[in-house]
Amino acid sequence: MATIKLVVKSRGGRELLPDGLILPYNATVDDLKARFAELKPYFYPSRQRFTLPPREGARSGEALVSGKRLSDYGLEDGSVLVFKDLGPQISYRTVFFWEYLGPLLVYPLFYFLPQLFYGDLKVPEKSVAQNLALAYWTFHYVKRELETVFVHKFSHATMPILNLFKNCIYYWGFAAYVAYFVNHPLYTAPPVNRTYAALAVAMLCQFANFRCHVILANLRPAGSAKGYTIPRGFLFNLITCPNYTAEILGWVAFTTATQTAAAGLFTLVGAAQMAQWAVGKHKRLLKTFDGRDGREKYPRRWIMLPPFF
Amino acid sequence: MGLKSAYLFLYNAVLCGAWGYVLFLTYKTTQAGGGLQDVWQAAEAPLKVAQTAAVMEVLHSAVGLVRSPVMITATQVASRLFILWGVVVLAPQPKAAPVELLTLPLGGGVRLQLSLVTLLTAWCCSEVIRYSFFAFKELGMQPYVLLWLRYTAFILLYPLGVASELAMVALALPHIRAARPLSIQMPNPLNIGFDYYWACWVAVLLYLPGFPQLYFYMIAQRRKVLRSGRSSSSSKLKHQ
Repeated sequence: MATIKLVVKSRGGRELLPDGLILPYNATVDDLKARFAELKPYFYPSRQRFTLPPREGARSGEALVSGKRLSDYGLEDGSVLVFKDLGPQISYRTVFFWEYLGPLLVYPLFYFLPQLFYGDLKVPEKSVAQNLALAYWTFHYVKRELETVFVHKFSHATMPILNLFKNCIYYWGFAAYVAYFVNHPLYTAPPVNRTYAALAVAMLCQFANFRCHVILANLRPAGSAKGYTIPRGFLFNLITCPNYTAEILGWVAFTTATQTAAAGLFTLVGAAQMAQWAVGKHKRLLKTFDGRDGREKYPRRWIMLPPFF
Repeated sequence: MGLKSAYLFLYNAVLCGAWGYVLFLTYKTTQAGGGLQDVWQAAEAPLKVAQTAAVMEVLHSAVGLVRSPVMITATQVASRLFILWGVVVLAPQPKAAPVELLTLPLGGGVRLQLSLVTLLTAWCCSEVIRYSFFAFKELGMQPYVLLWLRYTAFILLYPLGVASELAMVALALPHIRAARPLSIQMPNPLNIGFDYYWACWVAVLLYLPGFPQLYFYMIAQRRKVLRSGRSSSSSKLKHQ
């Protein structure tokens, strides 16, 4: 079988493999990464990134995407590739598990052990809003943990390990911040009917969000080739990211049910982050499904929050 | 010169002048034997105007008038405004006493202290250099002296500035703790609580990781810019 020999350089221009990297001519990007990891075991495949040499004037070249063949990039015998170490990686599933575990542990501390946080303030009996807030909060994060284990499929398996710390600080910190105010001895509860109504809406949102996650997970049946499919059915016929719509409305409802500014801030920050992701996904879908050369055309949809956005 | 350049030149020239004036007032007062109170009295008005005007820089970068990133500019301006309005103006102590660091056993004993005067020195010097650098840039000029100062003076001015800012916070904290200004107490119908004393601590903790990061970034920039600036013409500097 014919083989090709590739030259692998660091971004500084140093040759990393004195004998080059020898692969079958029809090898894929994944084969390349596996072979490189055999020669340099320290760089396991998920922390490798290969790019073509930058064109004149450009800062970096095109990145090789997993699943494609080397020939798709015009790579042949003697071609040069640039290697970048992405740093230590950690799986998405692990990150999700830890970031959602925090809120599950932190929030109840404020409910059950107020004497740790509120000094000498006398703790009155909990109100309905506080009891239901604890139940809803716990339900929400248990749902997220279960989805992480049983539902979600991750298109990228790993992320840089630093994200674990960033995400945990975000989720654990906000859990403490919201729990501090909702369980405060001087907490003022809204009218109880408002709490019931708002939490009923929030539960509907949870259900809608779950359904969206199931639809997304079924887009890529196990073992099938990668590649985008246009999500359809349920709210996806109207909105690009209805899972975010439901998530945000759920938190708006939680904020209404507890009438707490801290929950409002958590909602706002989360919504801003989700909006950024949603715009990215919407653009990606519009670009992938542009209706040309026999490709599907992405239908007109709201990005995240109809009828505004 | 286009309207944009003319405006940016004017903005930078005026602010360079304003900070120079604050520096002049500070040293005129201390030379005349004035204390911290006198320095504050002399410099207060132009200092407030010059520092608050920096909000325009966030706007400039938000509308694309200058190339600096919005978030970084906003963070820097916000931290200055916090120190000026939220610490020095808010509490009386920063205008009354210095923070004594140590006394060196030299001559009659040389005292090292951080005070409003070291704060104003660091702020004024770095701003005069920065704004004059940008003003000249709008004229299409880049005197090597200014380039060198912009990428050298920070080595001393930046740590002095940060240390003085932290000293201002240290001086103000007891007052803030006792008087609890700008704070919202529970209970209230929206269940809002805000404690300015703790917010100050959070701000200070955010300073710590920011300082070495920016300092070493500037040192790397210095190496890059001064190396290429000496050998070639001024037009190479696109990143500023």
